[in-house]
Amino acid sequence: MAAEIDYTKCNGCGKCYDLCPMDVITWNQEQDIPEITYPEDCWFCGVCWMECPKRAIDILYPACFW
Amino acid sequence: MSLDKTADRVIETDVLIMGGGIAGCYCAVKAASKGLNVTLVEKAKTDRSGSGAMGEDHYEPVPCDGVTPLEFVKLWQERQHDVCGDGRFVDLNIPYRLLDKATWVLDESEKIGITMKWTNGEYYHMPSGWFGGPRLMIRVHWSDIKPKLANAVRSSGVNVLERTMIVDLLTNSGRIVGATAVNVRTGEFIVIKARAVVLATGIFARCYEPEEPLFYKYQMKYHWCPASISGDGYAVAYRAGAELANMDITGWGYRIRDDLCISYGNFDHGDGIRAKWYTWDGEEIDYPTAPLYREIELKGKDPIYVSQEHLHDDYHRRMEVSFTDEKLISFKISEDRMFNPRKHRYELMENHPLNFMVPTGVYVNEDFKSSLPGLYAIGDCATGLHGCGNAALSGLWVGDHIDSNTDVASAPDIDEAQVEKQKKIALAPLNVSRGTEPIELELSTRYVCKRYVGMFKNEGRLREGQRRLHSLKREFLHKLMAKNPHYLMRALECRNITDLVEVHIAACLERKETRGQFIRLDYTEKDPSRDNMITIQRSENGQAVMEIREAPDLKPEYLKEEK
Repeated sequence: MAAEIDYTKCNGCGKCYDLCPMDVITWNQEQDIPEITYPEDCWFCGVCWMECPKRAIDILYPACFW
Repeated sequence: MSLDKTADRVIETDVLIMGGGIAGCYCAVKAASKGLNVTLVEKAKTDRSGSGAMGEDHYEPVPCDGVTPLEFVKLWQERQHDVCGDGRFVDLNIPYRLLDKATWVLDESEKIGITMKWTNGEYYHMPSGWFGGPRLMIRVHWSDIKPKLANAVRSSGVNVLERTMIVDLLTNSGRIVGATAVNVRTGEFIVIKARAVVLATGIFARCYEPEEPLFYKYQMKYHWCPASISGDGYAVAYRAGAELANMDITGWGYRIRDDLCISYGNFDHGDGIRAKWYTWDGEEIDYPTAPLYREIELKGKDPIYVSQEHLHDDYHRRMEVSFTDEKLISFKISEDRMFNPRKHRYELMENHPLNFMVPTGVYVNEDFKSSLPGLYAIGDCATGLHGCGNAALSGLWVGDHIDSNTDVASAPDIDEAQVEKQKKIALAPLNVSRGTEPIELELSTRYVCKRYVGMFKNEGRLREGQRRLHSLKREFLHKLMAKNPHYLMRALECRNITDLVEVHIAACLERKETRGQFIRLDYTEKDPSRDNMITIQRSENGQAVMEIREAPDLKPEYLKEEK
């Protein structure tokens, strides 16, 4: 997984969903939470990570980039 | 009206700007301030999109050290020679304008609340990583440049369509009259009537592999935002009949083992303190150009490493500020991987074409007008422009001058049959269920570029690449499937990429010489008949047309200004 959301910290503000340049994140309407739906499109720019007011998103560097 | 039936929404505007990066935002704000109705179409969210998504740490050119525009043109040409070889590749009046009007851009930026001054209220002049010598670059604290620009755009009354991708341009009697677009979250099909269209989509690079070591699962780890390097602007311009220039000239770059690209980028040149390059066994070497890299590989002296270990603590601290301004995530990545640039060397893993270079793109003159009436190109999308300074200037310039060109007879006519045709192409992948995933065709196309074009070219490989690309397009382009609008965006990007690779290979085949970093193993000498020539390509009634044309020299009145 490229980015991981910690739902215990997420406050559902929607900034990550709003800002992701590659549209990796979608919005789960039922639960009112963001979801990492297209991780293969992530370019590891860190916009979601740096904009998250709760630091609820972690960027995980995968083995193939190591 | 049948147009209302075909489209989910019809928008009428004076100026349509394609791409909400630095160039597009500057252009939108300026055009709106002149009283024009402006529509900005952005594939992502303007607040964090394009090459400036995470921020910017430097800006150039900015005049300093008494450099005149004419001297700047000479420096600019020297830099082009390092990469592209001898000669003029673009209209030289463009770099002249870049420095001549640079101070105007600084003033205009201040007016919209964007400062280029350092924390002490002064400009922080630095030698340029590009031009060396004179201090033509400034350091900027621009980690929030995009949110600021997006706010400026919104508060100037610009109509912003986000998560929206332009499918194709609309033309009538050889003039640009608008564009069709798709919302990549909802699938809404939009027709935009416009008196003028400005392309501001950035450079094209997604036909070559990303910078990272492997792309087994994550295929988008590019140096620039992958959404902005799919060549959308180039491709729509080409299909509409506008001229593209120098599509044979790719730069070269390296895959970097440790993902901290900016520290190896301009800063270490720019601050006048150079990094050092070593062979695996510690022999110091010159900056490894593509041929030098190959030579070292053949000698068995690779991997090549770049080192900043010798640089003093103050340098590293300034480097860290630079990261904070441009790529905050680098801290986290290096920490996770226990990489410390004070102690560790970066491996330059592989020599490969990186992106299409400065002379490449939608061919424009010094007013950033393309070859089609009503169509402009700014920023990296246009020939001769590179980086945020050039993007800001060209955006402001077009925004400032466009009004005199948009007063053509009332509302432009839209060819409804053309809209129907574009809609069919745009939405087709949504109706394919057992087809090809866009990324599959994209990766195959990238492989064609890597294997059959690459750094070291020959006729046989290029012809084989051309054959393979044609068969890929024939077999799979119409089978591209998209189960939702997100994948539709990837499918439309893939269409743009494959169209541009076709143009790229044709241009490479035509250049039967070695010049700069354009290396033909079967034509190792320079062909003097290509001196000062531009490779121009366009599409005429679906047929590819190529022309080798002389690049304009500086205007006589500019030459007179030398003091």
